Formats: sequence, C-alpha cells, structure tokens
Amino acid sequence: MQHIDILIVDDEAKFADMLAKRIELRGCSKAVCYDGKSALDWVSAHADRISLILLDLQLPDLYGTMVLTNIKTINPAIPVIILTGHGTEKDRLDCERLGAYRFIHKPPNIDELMTILEHIKEKSAC
Amino acid sequence: MLKIVPEFLKAIRPEFRNHKKNFHQDAYYTFTNYRYLWVIGIFILAVTALSPLFMATLTYHQLIETSVDSDLNHRTKQLTDAAKSAVTFFMEERLNALTFTVNENGYDQLTDNARLTEILKNLKLGFGGVTDLSVLDADGNQVAYAGPFNLEGKNYKNQSWFEQSIKKMNFISEVFTGYRGVPHIIITVRSAKSDGSFFILRATLDTERLMKTLSSYKTGAYADIFLVNREGILQTPSMHYGAIFTPTNLIFPANSYETDVNTMTFNGISIISGHSLILRDMVTTPFTLMVLKEKAGMLQFWMDMRSKFNRIISASVIIIIIVITFASTFMVNKLYRADKAKAETMMQMEQTQQLASIGQLAAGVAHEINNPLAVINQTAGYMKDLFSFKDQTQNTDELIEYIDSILDAVDRCGTITRQLLGFVKQFDVKIKNVNLQKLISQVLSFHRKEAEYRQINVTVSIPDIFPELETDSSKLQQILVNLVNNAFQAVEEGNSLDIVARQVDTNTIELVIHDTGCGIPEENLKKIHEPFFSTKKDKSGTGLGLSITYSLIKKLGGRISVQSTEGVGTSFTIILPVKIKEGRIA
Repeated sequence: MQHIDILIVDDEAKFADMLAKRIELRGCSKAVCYDGKSALDWVSAHADRISLILLDLQLPDLYGTMVLTNIKTINPAIPVIILTGHGTEKDRLDCERLGAYRFIHKPPNIDELMTILEHIKEKSAC
Repeated sequence: MLKIVPEFLKAIRPEFRNHKKNFHQDAYYTFTNYRYLWVIGIFILAVTALSPLFMATLTYHQLIETSVDSDLNHRTKQLTDAAKSAVTFFMEERLNALTFTVNENGYDQLTDNARLTEILKNLKLGFGGVTDLSVLDADGNQVAYAGPFNLEGKNYKNQSWFEQSIKKMNFISEVFTGYRGVPHIIITVRSAKSDGSFFILRATLDTERLMKTLSSYKTGAYADIFLVNREGILQTPSMHYGAIFTPTNLIFPANSYETDVNTMTFNGISIISGHSLILRDMVTTPFTLMVLKEKAGMLQFWMDMRSKFNRIISASVIIIIIVITFASTFMVNKLYRADKAKAETMMQMEQTQQLASIGQLAAGVAHEINNPLAVINQTAGYMKDLFSFKDQTQNTDELIEYIDSILDAVDRCGTITRQLLGFVKQFDVKIKNVNLQKLISQVLSFHRKEAEYRQINVTVSIPDIFPELETDSSKLQQILVNLVNNAFQAVEEGNSLDIVARQVDTNTIELVIHDTGCGIPEENLKKIHEPFFSTKKDKSGTGLGLSITYSLIKKLGGRISVQSTEGVGTSFTIILPVKIKEGRIA
C-alpha cells in the first residue's frame, strides 16, 4: 500500500482541500478526513504508513484531544501536529501531555510545515 | 466664638445628609438607611449612658425625701412634745395653786371677800392670767367673789361647767366667752366643808397667757400651733386653719394620749401634723394640741438643693447627648465613607467588568473569524503556488473559483464583524426599545461555534407575542452576556442550556436561563452575588460577574433569583419591568 506523507483532519472542507492541494504541489502525498471517526478509521488502516498527521481540535463528532489519544493508542510513533483556530492554553497543555508533536495556530505556514515534514522523514530514515 | 458654632454643627451633622443621589452608584451601597443607623446609634448610646444616671438621680431623690420626711416627723414630734409639756404645766401649775389655796384657807376664810381679794392679788402676782376668783356652794350659788366684775350672788347651777365640776376633784373647762364676751377658761377645785357638804373654788383664766405660751413654740411661717376641743372646735386662733370657736376642716386624727405624728393633705397642701391630748393623771383637760407644718415650706432648703442638683443633672444630660451625637456621627461617617468608597470602587469594577465582557466577546469573534481567515490564507497561498510551481495563467476558470472562495470567506468575516459592531454599538445607547429575541440570539451567536463543538444543546423559547422592552439595552446586554458566559462555563459536553422568556403581566416579564451543568453547592449559593466571590481556583475569574449582574438588574428595576442543585443544574430567574421607570437612570 502507498505511503502517505501527511494526513489532514479538519472539518473546514475548503481549508483542508486547499492545504492538501498545496502539499501535493510540493510533491508530497496526502489524505484528508473531515471528521474524527473517519480519521481514526483511516489511521487504523494505515497505521505504519503515515509520516505526519495535521489534526484540528474542533471536529463535529469528537474533540481533537480524544482523536489524539486514540491515534497514540493505535500507533504512538506517528507525529501529530495540532492545527487549531482557537485552541486555549488548556488545550495546548492537554495536547502536549498526550504527546502532540507541535501545537500550531491557524493559518499554518506551508513552508514551515514542509520543513517539519522533511525533518521527520530524515529522522525516520535514520 | 462665631467660628465655633458652624464648626460644631459640622462635627455633629452626619455626612450622609449631603449624599447626592446617584442611581448607578447607590445600588452598590451596603446600607441604605443611614438616618436610621444614626438615630439608633444615638438611641442605644443614650439609653446606655443615661439610664444609670436617671436611676441614680431617682434613688437619690427618694433617699433624700425619705430622710427629710423622717427628720421632719422627728422634729414635729419634738415640738409637739415640748408644747404639750408647756400647756400641761401651765394648767397644772394653776390647778395646784388653787388646790393649795383651798387647802390652806378653808371655806370660812375663802368666803371672806377681803381675804379672797388678797388671794387673787397673790395669784395674779405669782402666776398671772387669773382674772377673778369665786366660791360657790353645792347649789351653785356664788358665795364670795373677788375680781373686776360684780358677779356676786349669781347662780351657776345650770351651767354645764358647774355640773361637771361638782363631779370631780378638779375641772378645767373649754375656752368660752361666757357672760363677759372674752375668751376664758374656768378652773375649779372641789373641797369638803366641815359639815360634810362641799364647796367649789372657781378661778377664771384669760387665754392670752396660754396663747402666748403656745405661740412661743411656733417655728417659722409654715408652722401653726393651736388647741382644739374633742369636737374639733378651735380653742385658740390658728393662722391657716380657722378662727377661734370655728370648726377646723382638718380630718381630725384619732385622739391619743401619746404624741402622734402623721402626714395629711389640707386643701391640696401636704402637711405634717403632730397632735396629742393634754392629759395627765391628776388633770383632765378637754384640749388636743395640734402642731401643723406645711411640708413644702419646711422642705424649702431641700427643694433648693434638689433644683440645684437637677440643674447639674440636666447640664450633664445635655453634654452627654452632645457627646453621644458626636460619637454616633463619627461612627456613621466612618461607615458611610467606607461604604461610599466601596460603591465607587464597584462602579469602576462595573466598567472594568464591561470591558472584560467585551474582551470575552472579542475572543469569541476571533474564534469565529479565524476559520474563514484560514481558508482565505490557504486559497490565496494556493493561487500563489499555482503561479510559482506551474504557469496557470491560462486556467482562468479555476482561478475564478478560488477567488470566489476567498470572497465567500471574506463575506463570512464581514457578517461576524457586522454582528460585533451592532452588538458593541448598543453599549453606547441608553434607554431604547429592545427586542429580547434578537438580543438573545446576538449574545448566543458568539457562542455558536463553541456550542457546536462542545455539543451543547442551546434552545431559546420566547412566545411569538412578546412585548418590546423599553430599557437600558447596554445593561440588559451585559446581564445576558454575563449569565450566558457563566452557563457556558458551568456546562459539560452534551449538556443543555435553555433560555425561556414569558410575560408575567402587562408590566413584567420573566427570563429563565437554565443549564444542566455542574450546579452550585448550597453553601456557595448565598455568596455568589457577593463581590470577589469566585470558585475559579486558577484565578481566571474576578469574582465580580454575578455581583455586577445583580446590581445591573437592580438598576433596571428588576430582581434575580437563583435555584441550583449540585450536579443537576442551575436556573437564574430574572424578573424585569417591560418599561423601565422614569428617573431610574440618572
């Protein structure tokens, strides 16, 4: 099965799609989920073939921290970047405790994301 | 001196009298009735300070009165005793002289007019007051006479004094005027003749001597001393209680051989009376000695002293009351100043809290705007990518699609900012017509996203026919923002928040904000409207939200109550007038 560089989990479809397109333009593979449940299903199916997950906190079905916990249960090695529009300080601390890789406020800087991805890939290659 | 008076009045006049009504600030005062506090303060202090003084004064007066009374009684008794001795001695002396004369001379010598005249002369020299002497036989015939009046040969058999004098060894008559029209007393001594029959020696005493003796015992203008007979007829003249031979109007005390002193009232005047029968073993007289003293007159010295004492007490009472008023003013001023400072602080806090609630709104707005901004950011970024990574200038349809996407997101931002502007605008306006439904949905719009992702079920139930409120919209808005914010903080995921409004009557509406959140423990329920009470341990709360909400509702002429069960939920019930009363807002 194909390896996925970045999985985007966000209910704001226009944002998620646009970000996906930009990632694709930069030669990386991507996948998009619009809610927590499908994201977890996807991760279960591709547990060891995801380099990075971008996770929104405000999802229509599950709260982001819940999704993060479950991802870490499935595969604790997958780096998860929390990408949120209005995360509170409490959210940030919760996510760090649960093992989030980074906590980034929207809108994200695409170049920064690519640098992080490269860094992760280099690390895993070693 | 002129400067002291206004200074004094200033010190005694409490500051709350200058209180200027400020509707906004007055709602924050802890005490509302300072006049009552001031008056009750004065009253309590006055009672505490003056009761012992009054008790002491009363006791003192009673003590003085009792001791003065007993002193007066004692002195009256002494006087009565002395006068009684004098009168008794006066009578005895004359009676003894007559008895001696009878025994010394015998019937034969006494019936000799010349001898009798000589005896009268001697008696006049020795005792004085003896007007004449006569010798009567057992039938009342005057056998001999010595004196200024020619009464020889008269018969006294039918006179009452004669009838009484033949029964006893000696006899003293009442005072009477007799044939001569001059008040006198008759003294008789009975003696046996050698033939076994008896005769009587009679002496007439003028009463002037007796009166002089009596009046020598008079002490001052308030004392009266006189003799009365058994029937209460005056035997000697009195100053205040009637002329000689008239009945006294005194309630006559029981006859007693002992000196008796008591208090009575005559014509509304309190009198101390001492009285005693003039009576000894050997002598019986028909007289009762009366000594009467007007109490008020005798008490003059004490009265003067008492009024002096009363003046001192009155002055002390005035000084105490002034000092007490000072103290009460001082204390109430302290309280008033502290309360005023608190109210002023709370006013400032109210403004701060208003800013804080605007801040909370701003956070909500930022959340709402962030998502469309992220879309704009990524779409614009992608468009730039299109130009950087591959030449896409020809593919205009795709570009227009992205531009539309950006415009759409900008529209979303615009809607939110317009909402915010419309909302903030209301902070400036004072009284205006308010559509409660609209205001509630405006407030809730800032929580829409939060409610969505936290899965909080928000319902608003307002009847279709509901009056427009004429009220201070900014205050009502702040009340709603505060209570909705509180509710959102109390609820957990999946809980619900219900806002129900209904019209109670034409002038009143009721608004219930109910959440199924964590609830408020009973011990906190009483404290939630107190300033600076907060259960938010992380210090994120100022503890002012609800206390200010309470004050704001008060200012709108409404009231608020809260019911809460821990773990079940909380209901805030607000009662508001449809039309705010004129003059409620300064």
